[in-house]
Amino acid sequence: MAGVMEDIRKDYAGTLSGYLIQADEEARLHAHELGRKALTGGIGVLDIVTLHHEALASLGEAASLPLDRAAEFLAESLSPFEMSLRGYREANAMLSTANTSLQQAQAATEAVNRELEAFSYSVAHDLRAPLRSIDGFSLALLEDCADLLDEAGRQHLRFVREAAQDMAALIDGLLSLSRVTRSELRRETVDLAELARNILAQLRRAAPGRNVETVIADDLFAEGDARLLRGLLENLLGNAWKFTGRQAAARIEVGMTHAGRERAYFVRDNGAGFDMAYAAKLFGAFQRLHSPSEFEGTGIGLATVQRIVHRHGGRVWAKSEIGRGATFFFTLWSTGHGA
Amino acid sequence: MELRADLFRDKRILLVEDNPRDEALTLRALQKHNLQSAVAVTRDGVEALDYLLPAADHAVQPLPQLVLLDLKLPKLDGLEVLRRLREHERTRLLPVVILTSSAEERDILESYRLGTSSYVRKPVDFAEFTEAVRYLGLYWLILNIAPPAQ
Ligand SMILES: Nc1ncnc2c1ncn2[C@@H]1O[C@H](COP(=O)(O)OP(=O)(O)O)[C@@H](O)[C@H]1O
Ligand SMILES: [Mg+2]
Repeated sequence: MAGVMEDIRKDYAGTLSGYLIQADEEARLHAHELGRKALTGGIGVLDIVTLHHEALASLGEAASLPLDRAAEFLAESLSPFEMSLRGYREANAMLSTANTSLQQAQAATEAVNRELEAFSYSVAHDLRAPLRSIDGFSLALLEDCADLLDEAGRQHLRFVREAAQDMAALIDGLLSLSRVTRSELRRETVDLAELARNILAQLRRAAPGRNVETVIADDLFAEGDARLLRGLLENLLGNAWKFTGRQAAARIEVGMTHAGRERAYFVRDNGAGFDMAYAAKLFGAFQRLHSPSEFEGTGIGLATVQRIVHRHGGRVWAKSEIGRGATFFFTLWSTGHGA
Repeated sequence: MELRADLFRDKRILLVEDNPRDEALTLRALQKHNLQSAVAVTRDGVEALDYLLPAADHAVQPLPQLVLLDLKLPKLDGLEVLRRLREHERTRLLPVVILTSSAEERDILESYRLGTSSYVRKPVDFAEFTEAVRYLGLYWLILNIAPPAQ
């Protein structure tokens, strides 16, 4: 900056003295150019004014100089500042308009969110109640009127009950999906390895007969919302657990690798796998690549996973081959992805 | 452990439930464990408060041993009923179990904040529901020692 100042100082005095003798267009343009240089060089208006007075003083007695012409020159050299100020004012005005509409949009979003919340709340309560009746009275029929029904009739009732329970599971899935969007995102340091160990211990308790080797890397720390990240791992590990159900020696691995410059966490299993041709469908709500007779489920888990990852500004993807297991990768706070 | 009717001859449950089908199912579950005769039913929040906190000129019922309280009720909802029960000397310590469809975090939190004794989500599967009712009866009518009458 000091260098720019020196250049301008010399140039200014020279051009000004020329201008005082003859006020030509070329000198005027040069004054403007000097102002522009000062502006981009980070030199302020006051510096220019000081510089102007120094130059005038070096040119002789004030009384002998055409001061109105000198003032013209100064105004010319300050014009870039004025223009930039005008631009700044205009930008500011535009920004404040944009801010107002942003605030309006935010208020609208909040209203929609509140509505969504009220909606999911009544879904929770109101849709489950009739399902309980469907299930309960079907069972009552099976118990009280068993002799009035033949085996086909009893089978129909069992299907009615199954359907009611499936629907209850779907409603719960939708609710947990909407909870991901509704809940506020907290940011804290989360030990993913510890979470994974917890979740796997829970899965083990629920199915003590299963033989599953688990390998969890050390030092899997991440920044994010602990509750949501738990939900994410619950779904990925739940899937790994489920889709290795037919494996005599199941293996589940949780670790970290690099995808380009980013850290990518992964959950790998040696289970049923899936056909990569349908990989794009995987993360859609209710999308499944296996039939309920092979593996039970609602198809809401990976949709939940994707929402959680997106809320953490990350990406999620999978690699698999039928019969050879699957690996699910995710990043958090990737560059170029907003939260 | 079996639940036998003579174990709770004087003990009663107050069920606060507006949905007649849910009421029938809950009674059926209670009946399976011989608890049906011990149940009184009120169908909204106002009725429940009238039962538990009768006005001065009304007959006073003995307090039940346990209140099974639904959250979503006509007129006064379950949370409001709970709040008022906790405000009154007579019902401040009364065991109240919230029995509801909702597993919303804010419902659970608010219920505990207002002083519920327990919070149970009604399972859709009736076999599980019956099991839950059995546990509730066992625990609150037999195992649990109620606060002494004051
Ligand atoms: N670890 C895995 N191995 C093989 N297939 C998987 C795995 N995880 C997910 N999938 C496939 O993706 C589908 C969607 O998964 P998800 O949304 O969790 O639903 P659900 O577990 O209820 O079936 C599954 O039905 C399955 O076809
Ligand atoms: Mg799943």
